[in-house]
Amino acid sequence: MLTLDQLSHRYPRARAAALDRVSLTAERGSVLGLLGPNGAGKTTLISHLAGTLPVQQGEIRVDGQPLQQVRAQAPGRIAVAPQEYAFYPMLSVRENLACFGAVSRLRGARLQGRIESCLAFAKLEGHADVRAERLSGGLKRRLNLAIALLPDPELVLFDEPTVGVDPQSRAFLLDAIRSLARERGAAVIYTSHYMEEIEAIAERVVILDQGRVIRQGPLEALLAEGGPVLTLSAPGADTALLARFGELRDDGPRLRLRLAAGNTPASVLAALDAAGTPARQAEFGRGNLEQLFMSLTHRSLRDDA
Amino acid sequence: MPALLWSLMKKELLALARDPHGLAALFLMPLMFIVVMSLALKDVYAPSQASLPYAVQSRDDGELATSLIRQWQRGHGAPQALPADWPERLRSGRLKYVLVLGPGLSEELAQPTLPTTARIQLLTDPAIDGNLFNALRSELGGLAGELKARHALSDTDAPPPPPNASMMALVQAERQAAHSGPRPTSVQQNVPAWLVFGMFFVIASLASLFVQERASGTLARLRSLGVPHAALLASKALPYLGVNAVQAALMLAVGVWLMPRLGGDALSLTGIRWGALLLALGSIAAAAVGLALVLACAVRTHAQAAATGPILNVLMAAVGGIMVPKFVMPAAMQRLAEWSPMNWGLEALLAVLLRGGGVAAVLPHAARLGLFASAMLLLAWFLFRKTAP
Repeated sequence: MLTLDQLSHRYPRARAAALDRVSLTAERGSVLGLLGPNGAGKTTLISHLAGTLPVQQGEIRVDGQPLQQVRAQAPGRIAVAPQEYAFYPMLSVRENLACFGAVSRLRGARLQGRIESCLAFAKLEGHADVRAERLSGGLKRRLNLAIALLPDPELVLFDEPTVGVDPQSRAFLLDAIRSLARERGAAVIYTSHYMEEIEAIAERVVILDQGRVIRQGPLEALLAEGGPVLTLSAPGADTALLARFGELRDDGPRLRLRLAAGNTPASVLAALDAAGTPARQAEFGRGNLEQLFMSLTHRSLRDDA
Repeated sequence: MPALLWSLMKKELLALARDPHGLAALFLMPLMFIVVMSLALKDVYAPSQASLPYAVQSRDDGELATSLIRQWQRGHGAPQALPADWPERLRSGRLKYVLVLGPGLSEELAQPTLPTTARIQLLTDPAIDGNLFNALRSELGGLAGELKARHALSDTDAPPPPPNASMMALVQAERQAAHSGPRPTSVQQNVPAWLVFGMFFVIASLASLFVQERASGTLARLRSLGVPHAALLASKALPYLGVNAVQAALMLAVGVWLMPRLGGDALSLTGIRWGALLLALGSIAAAAVGLALVLACAVRTHAQAAATGPILNVLMAAVGGIMVPKFVMPAAMQRLAEWSPMNWGLEALLAVLLRGGGVAAVLPHAARLGLFASAMLLLAWFLFRKTAP
């Protein structure tokens, strides 16, 4: 549905490009996870898709049409749920929906229908007449989501939609966003610092760093890229001993050991037992996105760029 | 477009209606200023000197000195008995002035020559108003002169003057209002002044929500939904033009109906040219909203909006003759006042409400305000295009 082709952008007086030849696609019925540390270019990418930054170089197309043309004809086809609480705190939930619904060119019965539908989707019916400023953080996030869905968009961008919410609200939001793609057939782009969230809902992942796509592909394929890595927690373990089994990396409380050919997790655990420093925790067989990102950039995803 | 604009305007009005501080600044503050200042300055345009507490120390028992005291009492009421500590009472303001009639005053008044020596002392409270001080001194000199003239006339063969004859009868003084126009009162002066001040207070209210929209990403969201810049600016400007209209109606109503009930003079709208009044109010509203839009587009934080708006307003009011009437300012300050949009607005309203002027009288001020409003709108448009998402 959405295709970015060699998209580049440089802000005035900036030394480096915020986006450097970024190419990606987002399909209907699927969630595309967009990962990257601060300064990776996520916000610039979202601003382009929201229509608030002009394309300097490259192309953005929606079903083959230039994005600008699509936005001019039907801006509601693409919606953005920003990271901030982008609504009016002094208005009630329903008043906010009515305002943004009218702004989305919805009128009369269609507007009322969409308001009720979005209230139900975000489970906000019981709070419809409450002023937004009096909602909890989780409910505010749901209102942000409901507003984004008013025009019944075909492509929805979520920018860190679970920041500052409780675990229940996070689970609800993730379920709701997943259902948008899988049940309603929308194309979803989901940006987050929380790797576990991306792993939980995305089918495809794009990893951005310093304005460039450093890796993209199906989630499972990326997770399998890490190779045979054993993650250990073994207080007092002799690192020289462990290094004999492969490439060792110390990630603070945990040790990551990429096993050399011929070595197995069982042999490592046995050696630790024999040395009198048995492992308290061990994980093997599946990498995670954080490990992948660190192996690609040698930095944590939550580091400031 | 009308439905989109209406929904954005409705949001703006709901936000204002739920902001008690904003409402107080826009409606209650100018209303209070009108009431308080009109009552406080009630006597400025019809001063009553009879109410000032004074005493007389007479060291001359002659007929003419006694006559002078009698004449003075007619206009100023009976004096208080002279207390022993009168200099102290004068310094502390408990006595406003003391007349000391020196020995030889009657003899001096009886002489057919002009005096060269002071025989009367006017001693006043140090805080007494300068204009009042001059008025008392002039009145005292005039009274003494009249007594001297009467005495001189009595020594001639001329027929005695009629009972109501006086040197004061020679001078007729009046404020020149339009024939059917209102009488100048403190209400007639204060309603226009504080109405203009209140109308310009939309600066602070308008900027506040604008900053919030920008900071919260709401403005970006509206832009991403394809709302044009012009619709966003219009949705800010139009509700506040309406706010200005409500302010004007409310302040005029306060002057007409509330002030007399509080013991003040009533604002008179008799003989007012309504077309001219609407032109004046419309041009003031356009200038105020234009300036408010520029400020809203220029500031970045709530702190900037909360400080800049009121400071700008108070400065324009101080310079523009709202707080201090322009005619009491020195020439340089009067020239400066002519650069304040608030002064143009005040002059436009005074032309209608005080001088009974029509559209032609308001037009020069309205034209300045209109040009200012146009310039502000252009600047706001430029700033908004430059800074909005």
